[in-house]
Amino acid sequence: MTQVFSIAAAEWQLWLRSRVALFALLTVSVLLVVASILTATRMADERHQRLHQQEAAEETFLAQPARHPHRMVHYGHYVFRTPTPLAIIDPGVDAVTGQSIFLEGHRQNTAMFADTRASANLGGFRALSPAFVYQVFVPLLLIALGHGVFVREREARTLAPLLAQGVSGNTLYLGKMLSLLGLSAVLLSPLAVLAVIATAFGETAATGVALTGTYAVYLLIWSALVVLLSALTKSRGLALGLLVFVWLAWVLVIPRIAVASASASVSAPGKLETDFQMYADLRELGDGHNAADPAFAELRANLLAEYDVASVEDLPVNFRGIVAQTAEADLTAVLNDYAERRMTAEAEQARHASTFGWLSPSLAIASSSRSLAGVDLNTHHRFLREAEAVRFDFVQGLNEVHAEQLDYSDDINRSSDPEAERRTRVSPENWAVLDNFEFEPAPAKDRFAASSTATSMLMVWLIGLVAAGLFSTRVMKP
Amino acid sequence: MTGPLRELWFLWKDRAARIWLAVAFLAASAAVILGLGEVSSQRATIERLIEADQIESAIALEEHPDWGGAAYYTFHLTYDPPSDFAFAALGQRDASPWKHRIRMLALEGQIYETDASNPEFALIGRFDFAFVIAMIAPLLIILLLHDLRAGERANGRYELLSATSSGGRQLWMSRAACRVCALAIALLVPLWVGGVLSGAALGTLLIASLFVLLYLVFWWAIAAWINTRSWTSTVNLTALIGAWLLIAVVVPSAIRSGVDAAVPVPDGGDIVLTQREAVNDAWDLPKEATMAPFFERHPEWADYAEIVRPFEWKWYYAFQQVGDQTAEPLSLAYREGRARRERLASALSWFSPPAKVERVFQSIARTDSAAAAAYETRVRDFHASLRAYYYPYLFQGSPFETEAIVERPEFAASSDS
Repeated sequence: MTQVFSIAAAEWQLWLRSRVALFALLTVSVLLVVASILTATRMADERHQRLHQQEAAEETFLAQPARHPHRMVHYGHYVFRTPTPLAIIDPGVDAVTGQSIFLEGHRQNTAMFADTRASANLGGFRALSPAFVYQVFVPLLLIALGHGVFVREREARTLAPLLAQGVSGNTLYLGKMLSLLGLSAVLLSPLAVLAVIATAFGETAATGVALTGTYAVYLLIWSALVVLLSALTKSRGLALGLLVFVWLAWVLVIPRIAVASASASVSAPGKLETDFQMYADLRELGDGHNAADPAFAELRANLLAEYDVASVEDLPVNFRGIVAQTAEADLTAVLNDYAERRMTAEAEQARHASTFGWLSPSLAIASSSRSLAGVDLNTHHRFLREAEAVRFDFVQGLNEVHAEQLDYSDDINRSSDPEAERRTRVSPENWAVLDNFEFEPAPAKDRFAASSTATSMLMVWLIGLVAAGLFSTRVMKP
Repeated sequence: MTGPLRELWFLWKDRAARIWLAVAFLAASAAVILGLGEVSSQRATIERLIEADQIESAIALEEHPDWGGAAYYTFHLTYDPPSDFAFAALGQRDASPWKHRIRMLALEGQIYETDASNPEFALIGRFDFAFVIAMIAPLLIILLLHDLRAGERANGRYELLSATSSGGRQLWMSRAACRVCALAIALLVPLWVGGVLSGAALGTLLIASLFVLLYLVFWWAIAAWINTRSWTSTVNLTALIGAWLLIAVVVPSAIRSGVDAAVPVPDGGDIVLTQREAVNDAWDLPKEATMAPFFERHPEWADYAEIVRPFEWKWYYAFQQVGDQTAEPLSLAYREGRARRERLASALSWFSPPAKVERVFQSIARTDSAAAAAYETRVRDFHASLRAYYYPYLFQGSPFETEAIVERPEFAASSDS
């Protein structure tokens, strides 16, 4: 054990004496700290702003004057997605999807105003976030500092004397691993601080710890790879070249190939396209604005029979409101059917892409990190579903007011008779059918479940690489 | 053997160099194949949409044979087909819409809808040729050039080589030139094949190739400069990768954050909100309150101002337009803000050649922000032409004519693509 520690300590001293190593360490640390501060302040602002916008949207809705309830169905409402506390580490799909949805009767809108659309276009990578720096750049630092751990000693012919002193290859391996492990621990400290800040904003400690732990596993994978290749190669140049090649493949190439492969093999037609099919389905349902639509003949007959009256004028409820209710329910069933199909296709694509995590731990960590932080595709879909629930509830609440509080003859004559039009306006207390909306992060256990596949990929990578490292250093060749 | 030939022979004997060149060729080929696939799938989507749209508008007309109803129920497909060079740089087409259906209601409520693809994919990004050139090619140059001198130095041949060859400098120059040329060929051959397959103009391909060469020379210069220090090859490599990190990642990120912070754009939500309030308030306002601002823009219809019934189509479309007019200052500020960001990004991207080269590719491929903005403008113009078409019928109260409705404007994709 003392041997392992002194081997690691020797490595640390070497880095501290090397100007290149210190410079690289400094650069990545500055990058990490700057990205952390920028992302944390930006996401905290966004969170604050969206909570405020949500409140304002609800107040505006409730403050609307007396009017026809169907007008409020079209007036509509906004819901905003507040970022989860851990979004200060990984903002996830937030910038790409847009964060607000306009809710109105008869249709499901998409989320609008993704940041990426208005942002300055500089190609390349998206905005730097702590998650991105850890996934992409910290491995480069581990490579730069660690590629020589074995091969340097081999080139300097210091390996043979060490082994001759009776230090076993595996002890050497563990010592070298410990040196990179110490470095990783230091590099992880900004992440741990951010996770603690997130718990202060209401995140559970378990997810914060799990997220930090997952990144620790990821950095360990890189450390294990670096030490393994350093042990197997004959020259530093070769070790470094191979490591950069692996980095290129894992970080830059495979994730993008995964995307291309998933888009090609799982088709997910755009909303515009599936909407055409949906319109055909919807035409069968009849237009809820038109109570005379033949599609509602059966509804009319049933209602007349139920209340035992001869004409819709004699019904105790407003037939138009009943039609609006029924039509909205039928239409929503179709809308939801199409929305679910689209979400299933997207989830299937994402699942296909994530299997490439077996080829690239960088892809696995990205997916695991998004799931744990609650900023993944699932979360976006949950937001869409929750928004839809709010939409359906307030629209049907208003339709109920329409059916129960409005007189049918006033309702049909309101386009031509200003007096009747005035009587169809209901008081603003009725707008309280709108529920408060606050987008909460998924419970910790759901997020653990969502990240479990990617996390197990990481574990397999780690175990495999460490086993390969121990095996190849079992009998060390000088 | 003459110099260049001998250097080619050395290059061929160097196994590591062969691997990096093969990687370059494979990456460029994969990018071109994927790009061609994406472009053809976008074209196919547009074709299917056009077909479905025609059926759908015929049905709308059949069901609503009146001017107001036809205008209300008919959606019009607009689209922006990919150019014949789009395969090389898919650019903003992932983030900005290239297909849209609009109708004659207030445009500000419709134009920001995006029919986005899978958000997790947009996050990861595309593997297109521009990405390979901007991000991967520099790393390959670095890997090919970092140990030219240091390697010989480590092998103890450096002094000998410098002393015996006609000029030490020239030797390194021709050795590096040989490698850069080989890399350029490995990268450009797939581009040319792809360009020929998709029918890109010769001039386009030449300009794109020229930029690739200039860009490779830029990285060559950096590698050469670092190589002149008498460092070991590993220190060279570390320093070069650090330079890559700085130039290709840190600088663009800093520019992006800086530009976004320096040029605020109005919150998009506010535009839609303003428009919605204006449109909804109109129902409760006296009709003149809507018609007055409308006639400011359209004095030619002031003689037809009389609105008798509580609901009339001409009033309805007038307040839709007034909704757009109310949101106009915000909407213009939003567009102007984006345009300013774009101008600033264009100027500042000189500080990051990788960002510049990607922007140049997107601009040649017409997949850049300017192209997205141009498409938005075409959609706005088309919407305006719909209004210009319907207003006479709505205001003069002329009876519906099937012969006249077929004259209705149709969206035409820009002719030059």
